[in-house]
Amino acid sequence: MAEIAFRNVCKHYGKISALDDVSFTVKDNEFFCLFGPPLSGKTTILRILLGLETPDSGEVLIDGNPANGISPGDRNIAMVFQNLALFPHMTARDNVAFPLVERNMTASEIEKRLRDVAVKLHITHIMHKPPGQLSGGERQRVAIARALVRDPVACLMDDPISALDARLRESTRVELKRIQRDLGRTLIYVTHDQEEAMSVADRMAILVDGKIQQIGTPDAVYRKPTNVAVARLLGSPAINLLPMKRSDRTWQLADGGLVLPANGASSAANSIGIRPEDLKVAHWNNKLKGKPATVFQVEPLGGTTVLTIRSGETQLKALLRGQPDFKPNMQVSLSCDPKSAHYFGDSGEALQ
Amino acid sequence: MSTIHLRKLAKKFGNFTALKSMDLDIADGEFMAILGPSGCGKSTTMNMIAGLEEPTSGSIHFGARDMAGVPMGRRNVGFVFQNYAIFTHMTVRQNLAYGPTMQRMPVADVKTKVEEMASFLQLTELLDRKADKLSVNILQRVAIGRSAILKPAIFLLDEPLSNVDAAFRAVMRTELKQLQRQFRQTMVYVTHDQLEAMTMADRIAVMDHGVLQQVGTPLEIYNNPANIFVASFIGSPGMNLLKGKPVESKEGLRVDLGPVGATPVLPPALASRLRQSNGDVWYGFRPENINVEKKSRGLTLPVTFMERIGARTIVHLGEDLSTKAVFDNDTPVDAGGSLSFSVLPEHLLLFDGKSGIRIEAEAVHG
Repeated sequence: MAEIAFRNVCKHYGKISALDDVSFTVKDNEFFCLFGPPLSGKTTILRILLGLETPDSGEVLIDGNPANGISPGDRNIAMVFQNLALFPHMTARDNVAFPLVERNMTASEIEKRLRDVAVKLHITHIMHKPPGQLSGGERQRVAIARALVRDPVACLMDDPISALDARLRESTRVELKRIQRDLGRTLIYVTHDQEEAMSVADRMAILVDGKIQQIGTPDAVYRKPTNVAVARLLGSPAINLLPMKRSDRTWQLADGGLVLPANGASSAANSIGIRPEDLKVAHWNNKLKGKPATVFQVEPLGGTTVLTIRSGETQLKALLRGQPDFKPNMQVSLSCDPKSAHYFGDSGEALQ
Repeated sequence: MSTIHLRKLAKKFGNFTALKSMDLDIADGEFMAILGPSGCGKSTTMNMIAGLEEPTSGSIHFGARDMAGVPMGRRNVGFVFQNYAIFTHMTVRQNLAYGPTMQRMPVADVKTKVEEMASFLQLTELLDRKADKLSVNILQRVAIGRSAILKPAIFLLDEPLSNVDAAFRAVMRTELKQLQRQFRQTMVYVTHDQLEAMTMADRIAVMDHGVLQQVGTPLEIYNNPANIFVASFIGSPGMNLLKGKPVESKEGLRVDLGPVGATPVLPPALASRLRQSNGDVWYGFRPENINVEKKSRGLTLPVTFMERIGARTIVHLGEDLSTKAVFDNDTPVDAGGSLSFSVLPEHLLLFDGKSGIRIEAEAVHG
């Protein structure tokens, strides 16, 4: 297994900049996630890593050695595609054995490797079946087994579970994480689903327009986004971004529906971000100061409830626990712990 | 009237029963989600409502009108598929105008309607762009607009959001709900994603293996699931179900959950009901309704895995990861240790160990 690094990699397609000075290091045995919206450069990174594309400038290092001149076949990097690309006319067993047969490995060695990988991925009992007779999750495991059986230096996965049912996605991502821990592989995983990224990644890189915005553990990136773009990409419902209006020693937010003290670093802020789970909502009564806001929509999800609230021209989302008693058109008061708010400067950068 | 009534509706493909005798009434202007895993019969049901498939037996009525033999084109239904069906050689405007033009609507009216719909779906800027140059997200929005513009009395959507990316899905959930509120058509929405059903639907019909399991509002289904399938399919993650044996103790009836421990004494109304039946039960509770107890008090399971996802943490318990607890972001639990917990009586549901059907508390008399 190996450490993989990008050093100042740039890639253009014609006039379009696909990757702009991309640098990151994936540690040995790390589950590293590339996360970003469609066309943000995630797949270009994978293609360069596989050797299918050449960077315009910068270096790719595999275990410290420059990989730029090495052909795709000699890089020994495995790939699991979104559509899995299993051979439909072969059994799971023949699918998994395929890369070994291609390499002219001896029958006894193939046998041993198949046995090992099947046990690790819990597919021993389905090895005799063709992909058509397997469930979505089982096909997924077979595809991963085929990628890992040849003992690659790293395994790349391009959006591997997005085609599964919602419920199956939730269990498969946990399964993937377990497999990776058990097998100890360097794994680079591409997804556009923020929940999936945060769930599986040891660390994640957030890409927007071919630029890495931030690298860190999911928790760190969620709690301390480096700029507005990152803050908006993580979290569901998305963070509330409110323009600042200063009045005396307070910030008047959401057309006066939410008031925060203006002090310290926040005085330079241009906008403020409040996560829906940090927005406190209470029933309005006339003793309260300030301005009431109005509940516009209530989405009861069972364990949580999402409120869409309107205050003047501003629309906000609040994520509340349980099934609180709010109905559309109710008047409410909004508050927020200033410590949980995120402050952003003129160019969207986070202020400390 | 655009009510929909399914009576004993069934569909077989050869020996395979896709749908087994379904009864369902959908009210005028209602947003009904048909929810279930792949192969549960939801799309078959939808296709029969649309007129794409003939029922093997049973009937479909729109209002008082029997739909038997009525072709799709005469049913006044709008249909949006998972794979957007868009004319890629046309502009967005031409795509939106297609239906009204075919209906020989005056040109000036078509123009007004197209612009209204475009503005509603935030497509105004893109009206004169060729469809083949647009992203999947936008194309699905165009597909919805193209059907909605005809103001069909009944709007059918078959997993319209499964191919769009996750962030856009959240946006579209809100937009679809608003669309339906504004136009008040009867909406039938097929999905495998319980979150989509919970957020948008007035009522949800949950299906499994060609059988309708339960119909109700999102909260009815979440709070009072009829059986273990519905209990575990609704919720994110679904309900925890631990199998155990009812055992008498000095204080009252408990459920022995084997290595997990014995539950606290059951509420009297549930206990008396349980004493009338025999055999194992499923002890059901929601991951978000777990109360952490001091070590070795209450039920105990090993913590095998943690998922920290923004605002919340999902803690996976037990070797098979089958039990889950959901906490706020900061709740301190350690992987590798164990979690002792209890469930409040009001959060506890029991299901029959064999049939999986909910065991309801006995009504308390007098």
